[in-house]
Order: sequence, then structure tokens, then C-alpha cells
Amino acid sequence: MRFRAKIVDLACLNHFSRVINTIAKLAKTCTLRLTVSKLYFILSDKVANGGVSMWCELCQGNFFDEFQIEGVAAEHNEIYLELVPENLSRALKTAQSAKAVKIKLSNKHCPCLRVAVELPSLSSSSRIVTHDIPVGVIPRRLWNDFREPSVTDFDVSIYLPVLKTMKSVVERMKNLSNSIVIEANLRGEMNLKIETDLVSITTHFKDLGNPPWASEDGGQSSTQGGDLEGMAEARIDIKKLQQLLAGQQVNPTKALCNIVNKKIVHFILLHEDVSLQYFIPALA
Amino acid sequence: VFGKAIHAIARISDEFWFDPIEKGLALRSVNSSRSAYACVFFSSMFFQHYCWTAVSQPCQKEKQLSLPCKLIIKSVLPVFRGVNVLERNVEKCSIYTNINDHHITFQLLCKHGVVKTYNLTFQECDPLQAVFAKHMCPNILKVHSRLLADIMIHFPTSQEEVTLLVTPMKVCFKSYTEEDTDFSKTMLTEIHLNPDEFDYFQVGVDSEVTFCLKELRGLLAFSEATSAPVSIHFDVSGRPVAFSIEDMVLEANFILATLSDIEKETASQQPPCSPQRQESDTAAVTARRPPNTESAKPASPLAKRDIESIPRVTKKGRTGMEGTAMVEAEDHAMLEEQAAAASHSVLHAVSCFSQSCIFQFHSLFFGAVSCSEKGAISHTFQSLATSSDTEEDFGNMQSSPV
Repeated sequence: MRFRAKIVDLACLNHFSRVINTIAKLAKTCTLRLTVSKLYFILSDKVANGGVSMWCELCQGNFFDEFQIEGVAAEHNEIYLELVPENLSRALKTAQSAKAVKIKLSNKHCPCLRVAVELPSLSSSSRIVTHDIPVGVIPRRLWNDFREPSVTDFDVSIYLPVLKTMKSVVERMKNLSNSIVIEANLRGEMNLKIETDLVSITTHFKDLGNPPWASEDGGQSSTQGGDLEGMAEARIDIKKLQQLLAGQQVNPTKALCNIVNKKIVHFILLHEDVSLQYFIPALA
Repeated sequence: VFGKAIHAIARISDEFWFDPIEKGLALRSVNSSRSAYACVFFSSMFFQHYCWTAVSQPCQKEKQLSLPCKLIIKSVLPVFRGVNVLERNVEKCSIYTNINDHHITFQLLCKHGVVKTYNLTFQECDPLQAVFAKHMCPNILKVHSRLLADIMIHFPTSQEEVTLLVTPMKVCFKSYTEEDTDFSKTMLTEIHLNPDEFDYFQVGVDSEVTFCLKELRGLLAFSEATSAPVSIHFDVSGRPVAFSIEDMVLEANFILATLSDIEKETASQQPPCSPQRQESDTAAVTARRPPNTESAKPASPLAKRDIESIPRVTKKGRTGMEGTAMVEAEDHAMLEEQAAAASHSVLHAVSCFSQSCIFQFHSLFFGAVSCSEKGAISHTFQSLATSSDTEEDFGNMQSSPV
């Protein structure tokens, strides 16, 4: 099992760092799945996470100049690693002006990802900073745990409002309550509601627009056809929502969410070369 | 700069020694396990006005000519909190000591006529001095402070200990690992440098020293303020490592103990309590009533006071003391010279040595100063055999004052 990759372009490096920073804010530990063409950061919906799951997909060609992988076996040319994204984020944080960054899977004392950053320096030879990030190798029999979750029959799909605005709204609400209700309809309206003993607050967003597939596709529920005004709602943990919003460092090209009434909210944030899906289940 | 020094020292321990001597003001601190020691020495030229006189003793055998005192750092820190803000607002800072009341007063005169006065009590205590022979160290690295900060930035803030490994071919800083470190949980960082990067590189003996990074960070922050290069003097593992900054007007030394391979425990150095100085009190302290040093201050209006006058002032002060061993023997009055105070009302924040506050320092120790030697007074240190609980003992070497 071998893996080595190299980033030389600063812009790619910064982009990659930003992605890692976002992931680091969302999960303490996550699974990194490496295939020949893509990298995936996966968080599976275990109880420990509070039922939240995450699926983030990157196309390696957009970031790495060199990328070589040799998986567990020939037919399964993939590697699954468990790591703490915060470590990776920290390692890359000081690499902002690097000449090159090399990532390699190595096994010195224990399996780890060795990130070698070559920094420019005043002298002839450059400075090399090496970070050894411990990882856990996930055996093949457990790979099934990490499949892409899919939510097909959602009730409402709607574009999200400007994330900054949404973030500041949610942040203020976070102080007042533990859970927040997201409701939306197919008319492009979304409400964020919280309710406490003393006060209830609702923020209304209008004219958000609904993605095209919301009105096609047979897998729709009964709100199809008639009830455009009907709201699908879900009550979710406000902290998780706030985490998701706070972690976004760049405005995504597309941001939308799918709501399954009272079950789960599925956020999809798309950037040019990164897609992030985040599932927050509804509270009981 | 002064504020940053205090912050840097604060990283070491909770209290520090405030030590005025004739040449300047020394701030010292040592941490509770005696494994780290810091001393920042501001020569009198650092200050706009520095006036120091010693306590007179009726019997003139052994003069404790300085009155070192101990202050709790926590109480001093707020004075210098927000160093950046200080730079903008404070026009002048005066420090007065008052031995009878056991008070030190820090007075910040800020813009718009705001005056903040802090009265802090101090404790008298034994002098603190670390004895460490810097010039005997086989390995010396000299590096610009920026570089050192750049290196340390790669280590996580939680990283306690860092190992420095040198050979004549390379230099490597890495996070410290013990035998029983759980590698599957900790992230390790290593930084390799070429000797070319250092302003001065001398490696006499290949060595690997491990020291505490947290305590060093204080020095790093301070060094950025002074922008003078940092020298690292060290030896083999077990012997302490000294980080020092030397400048025209100040000198800072941070001495940290290093892990010794054999004992696997932190070896600490002993700061022997040596008397600060030994004045050769040959000059008889006669009860001559000298002109008050305060009057040696320029009477010129303050607006004209600029840097050129500072050395003059101090020199005048000194010659005043030299020429006429000023004794105000009976006078232990801790009066502020009101005239003096009045004359320090407005100052322009001008300093070619420090960018931030300008300090005036009055020491209210009146008394005999035998300054028969002109210029610098040589310090001879005797390291007394203190109850040393350490394995390290540099005591007997004639070492440079730290």
C-alpha cells in the first residue's frame, strides 16, 4: 500500500488548505478515502457524531501535480485512512509560501502521513519542515461502512440564502436555543425558527429559488403537483448547523439543501472542484 | 519594548525581580522548578532619564547597594497590557520606587492628559543571579529573530518540548519524543535547516538538546520587538541553553535547562544568590552634602529635551555622584522630587532605542555610592554555595554577568 502526492502550485495548495480547514471544523476524526482519481473525506453517520454524516469529494487532478497510489490490492485500488483533519490543517497552515508540499504514506513507528513542506529560505538550500500525522488504516472489510449516502426522496429542495447572512442569523439564534427548525417550500421560501419559553424567533428568506430537479423526478412525495406552498421542515441541532456554516471559508458556487420532512436535512455545497454534502438528522 | 519584556518574563514565572543597579535596570525571573531563568537588562541609556542611588548603610562593610525587590507579575502585567495600544497612547512612563512604603509606582502619562498610576507593593528579597558561562559553550548559533519565530511557528502551541539537533552539516528542530510517546496519537514535526541560514554558526560538538518551548516563546515575542539577532549558546544535552539578545541598550538572556539523556529528568541550574555587586567602598563615604542629583537634570524646558540630552543627563548624574559621593545619609525620605515630577509633564515619544514608551526611572535610594571607578563598574560575582538541588553546577567559573 503506497501513496505519494505532490503539490507545487501555490494556488492549489491554498485551495487544498482551505478545504482541509473546512473539514477540520466539521469533524474531529474522519475517513480519508483515496482512489486513483479522487479524494474523499467521509464521516459516517454513527451515533458518536450525533448522526451527522459528511461526504466531501475532491478531484485530485485539480490539486496535485503528482499523485500515485497503490491500493490494498489490484482490484481494490483504494486506501481508506482514518485521520484527524485538524492535524493536516495545522501542517498545511504554515505552508502558505511553500515551494512544494509532498504527502506520503509511511510507516515509521506507526502508519502516518508524512507531509514534507519545502519552504524558501535565504540560503541556497531550502528549509524542509516535516510533519508526521498519525493515521489509522481501515481494513477492507470495513469499507462498506463508508458509502456515499443518498437521499432521493426529499420533500423540498431549495437553494440556500447567502451563507454569510445565514451564518450570522444562526449564530445569534444559537445563544437562545439548542435546536432550530428549518422549513422550506418549493416557492423559494425558507424559514429558520427557534422557540424558547420566552421568545420565538423566525427569520424569513424569500426568493431563494429551487433547483430544477425539485419539480421533476418521480421519486417525489405527495407535495408534487399541488402543494407548492407546503413547507417541509425538520428540527435539527443548531450547533451542527452553525458548525457547517462557520466552516465555509469560500462562498460556494452552489449551495442548496434538501429537506425530508421531519427526518433529515441534506446540505450540498458545490465549489468548482470540491463538493461537500452534509447530512443533519432531525432531532427526535 | 519594556512592556514586551515584562510579558516575556511573565511566561517564566509569576513573579519577577526588579533590580535597579547603577548601570541600568535588570528584570529577572526564574520559574518554580528553577529550570528556566530570564533576565532582561536595560542599560541606563535605554531610559530617558535614569537615576539610581543606593541605600546608605550606617556601617560600611558590606553594602547592599541595590535593593532588589520582587514583584508579582500579575500585578504588573495589566500595566503593560496591550502593548500595541500603549505605543499609541502613552507618551511617557515613569517608574518610581519608594522603599519605605515598599511601593513601586508605575505612572503612565497618556495622550489627552490621562494619567494612569499604579502602585504596587514589592517584597524585598535576595538577589537572583544565574551563573552561566556563555562564552564557554562550544555551540553558538546566531540568527535573526524573524527566523527563529518562523521556525517555532511550525510547532503547535501545545508543544511543550522541542529538541534541537546540530551537526556541522545541518540543524534540526524537532518535537520532542520520549520512548513511551504514543506515536499513533501525536503529530510530530521536524524542521531541517541549512547552516547557511544562520548569521553565525559554530558547532563544536554534535549535540542534541531538548528544552521547553513555552518558556522560549516569551523571548521570541520580545525579540521581534527589538529586532536584534538572537544568539543561542549551548552545549551537550543536560547543560543549559542560553538564548540571548544583545543590543546597544539592552541585553536579554533566557536560560533554559535542557533534558539530560542519562537522568531523563530536567536538570536545572542553580541561580546562586550572589551579591549583586561588590562595591569597593574605598571611597570614603563622607557626609558631604552634594548637590542633589535632581538638580543635575537639565533645567531646560522639556520641549527641548531630546535624545542627545539623555546621555548627558545620566553622565551628569554620575559625575555628580562620583565627584561628590552623595550621601543623604539621614535622609531616607521618600519624597518625590516635585520639581522633577513637574518637569516630566510632557514629553514627545521620541526614542531611538525603543519605539514604544519612554521611561524615566527614579530610584529613591539615596545613599552612598562609591563611584571611584569611572564608567562601568565591574561586577565580581561570587557564587555562594547555595543549597543546590540540582546536578548542574557552574558556580565556580568566572562567568559573564547575566
